[in-house]
Amino acid sequence: MIDAYKRLMNIEEPPPPKTAKGFFTDTSLCIGCKACEVACKQWNQLPADGFAMTGNSYDNTGHLGATTWRHVQFIEQAKANGNSQEQRWLMMSDVCKHCANAACLEACPTGALVRTEFGTVYVQQDICNGCGFCVPACPFGVIDRTPKQGHFEAGTAHKCTLCYDRLKDDMTPACAKSCPTASIQFGDVEELRTRARRRLGELQARGESKARLYGMPEGEEAAEVGPLHAFFLLLDEPQKYNLPEVPRLPRRTMAQRYGWSAAVGLGFALLGALVFGGRR
Amino acid sequence: MAADNLPPPPAGEGGGYYDYPVVKRPVWTWEVPAYFWLGGMGAGAYITAALAQNFGSADDKRVAAGGYYVAAAALVPCAPLLIADLGRPDRFHHMLRIFKPLSPMNLGAWTLTSLTPVAFARAASHAASSGLLRGPLGALARLVPTRLADLAGVILGLTLAGYSGVLLAATNIPLWAKSKLLGGLFMASGLASGSAAVTLQAARRGVPDATLHRLGLLETAASAGELAILTGYLVQTGKTARPLTSGRFALPFWLGAVGAGSVLPLLLHRVAGRRQARALRTLSIAAALCTIAGSLALRWSIFEAGKDSSADQRASFDLSRD
Repeated sequence: MIDAYKRLMNIEEPPPPKTAKGFFTDTSLCIGCKACEVACKQWNQLPADGFAMTGNSYDNTGHLGATTWRHVQFIEQAKANGNSQEQRWLMMSDVCKHCANAACLEACPTGALVRTEFGTVYVQQDICNGCGFCVPACPFGVIDRTPKQGHFEAGTAHKCTLCYDRLKDDMTPACAKSCPTASIQFGDVEELRTRARRRLGELQARGESKARLYGMPEGEEAAEVGPLHAFFLLLDEPQKYNLPEVPRLPRRTMAQRYGWSAAVGLGFALLGALVFGGRR
Repeated sequence: MAADNLPPPPAGEGGGYYDYPVVKRPVWTWEVPAYFWLGGMGAGAYITAALAQNFGSADDKRVAAGGYYVAAAALVPCAPLLIADLGRPDRFHHMLRIFKPLSPMNLGAWTLTSLTPVAFARAASHAASSGLLRGPLGALARLVPTRLADLAGVILGLTLAGYSGVLLAATNIPLWAKSKLLGGLFMASGLASGSAAVTLQAARRGVPDATLHRLGLLETAASAGELAILTGYLVQTGKTARPLTSGRFALPFWLGAVGAGSVLPLLLHRVAGRRQARALRTLSIAAALCTIAGSLALRWSIFEAGKDSSADQRASFDLSRD
C-alpha cells in the first residue's frame, strides 16, 4: 500500500547515508587571498555582489548571503608593545557551519531544507517557497533569501551546499580545492577533528595561548546546535569573528513559549465560560 | 608611517567584527503583522462567540454569537496575506506537503487552512438558524454539527492566536527571542481584539445592557492580562528592547500599543461598567475600536523593531549567553 503510494506520488528513496563530510577551516593559515570566494562563485555560478567598498580593511564582501557562500574576514588588531603598537590581522574564511542540529532545517515548513547523505544541510531549490523563516532562525546569519524580483533564483533561500554536486562525484568542494595554504581543509569530519586537535596542540606549544577550536563536539558552542560539520581553528575568542559564544537553537525554548501562550488562551476560555455561564 | 601613528583598529561596539550584525535581517514585510493581527482577531472573535453560544443566556446567544460572522470575515484576507509574503507565492501549497508541527510556520499554515473552512461553516450555520440564509444553501448549512464546530474552532483558534508570537520568538532575533512571553502577549492581544470585534458588531445590532457588560468584563480581563504580560515582556527583554521602546517605533508602541491598545480601553470599560443604554453602547464601541487599533500597533511595532534589532550586535551576543 505504501509502496503503491510512493510509486503513484513518484517518491524516491533517499540515498543511503555515507561518511560525514565537512570543512576544517584553520584560520592561522589564511592569508586573505579570497580564492575561496571566487572559486565558490564560479563553480556555483553565483552572481557578483557589485563593487561597493566597505571601508573596513580589505573586506569588501561584508557578509555571507544568498549569493555569497564564502566570506573572508579581515580582523585588524593592535596591542601595545612598549611605546609602539603591534598590529596583526586575523583572517578567517567564513562559511555555513552545517550544524548537527540545524536551526534553519528545523524551521523550514516545506521540507526544502534537508540533511544529505553526507551529513550536510542542503536547500532543495524546487521545494523552497521562500517563506523566509530560516533567515532569522540561523544563529550565525548565514542563510538568506534572494530578492523576489532578482535575476538569480528569485525569492528562494540559499546558502553553501558544501558543493553537494561535487560530493556526489567524489570531488573536493571548490573553495577547499582552490585554497593555496590548506587553510580550508575538506574531508571526513572525524578525521578532520583529529587533525584539528593535533594542529591546536602545535600552535599552543608555539605560544599561541588564545588559539582554540570552534564547533567541536566537546566545545560549549555545541551545547545547542551540536557539533559543526564546518568548524574552525580561531586565534582569538569567537566574538572577535562575530561568532556567538553559544549559538542558540530556537527549538530548545519553544515548549516554554507555547506554554505561556496556552496558559493565557486557556485562562481566557475558562473566564469566558464563567462570565457567560455564571449569571444565567 | 610609524606603527604608533596608526589609528586604533576598528571593532564593533558589541566587541564583534566591526559593527556587522551577527544575524540576518528578516526578509518579511507588512503582510506578516497584518496577517497576525487579523488572524488573532478572527480567532479571538470565534472563541468569544463560541463561549457566548454555549454558556450564555438567550440574549447572549442571539447577539454575541454574531461574532461568527466577524471571525469569518477577519479570516478572509489572512491566507492571501500569508501567500503574498512568500518569495515564491506560486508554491504556497508546499507548506502543506508535510506536517511538521516542530516548525511554527508549518503549524500555522495547517491551522489557518483548517480554521478558515470551520469558521465559514459555523457562520453559515448560524445564518441559517437565524433565518438569514435560506434555500438549499441554508439547508446544507443546517447540517453543520454546531457543537463539534465550536469545539474544533476554539482549539484551532487558540492555536492560531497563540502560535504567531512563538513563531517570531523561535528565531535568533534578540527583541523577539529574549523574553519567553511573546507568544502569550500576542495571544492576549488577539483575544482582546477578538472580543472587542464581537462587542463592536453586538453594540451596532442593539444589545441588552447585561450582555454588553459581560462582553466588557471579558475584554477588561484580556486587556489587563495583555498589559501584565507586556510589562513582563519588557522587563525580561531589558536593554534589548531599545529598538522598540526608544527607537523610531517608540511612538506607535507607547501611544498605539500601550496607550490606545491597553490602558485606554481599561479606563473606558471602568467608566462603562456603571453606565446604561446609550452611554454604555458609545463607551463600549470606543473601547473596542481602541483595542483593535492597539492590537495592530502592537504587532506592527514589535515586528518592525525586531527587524532593527537584528542589527544589534551586542544584543545578539547577550542572547547567545543566556
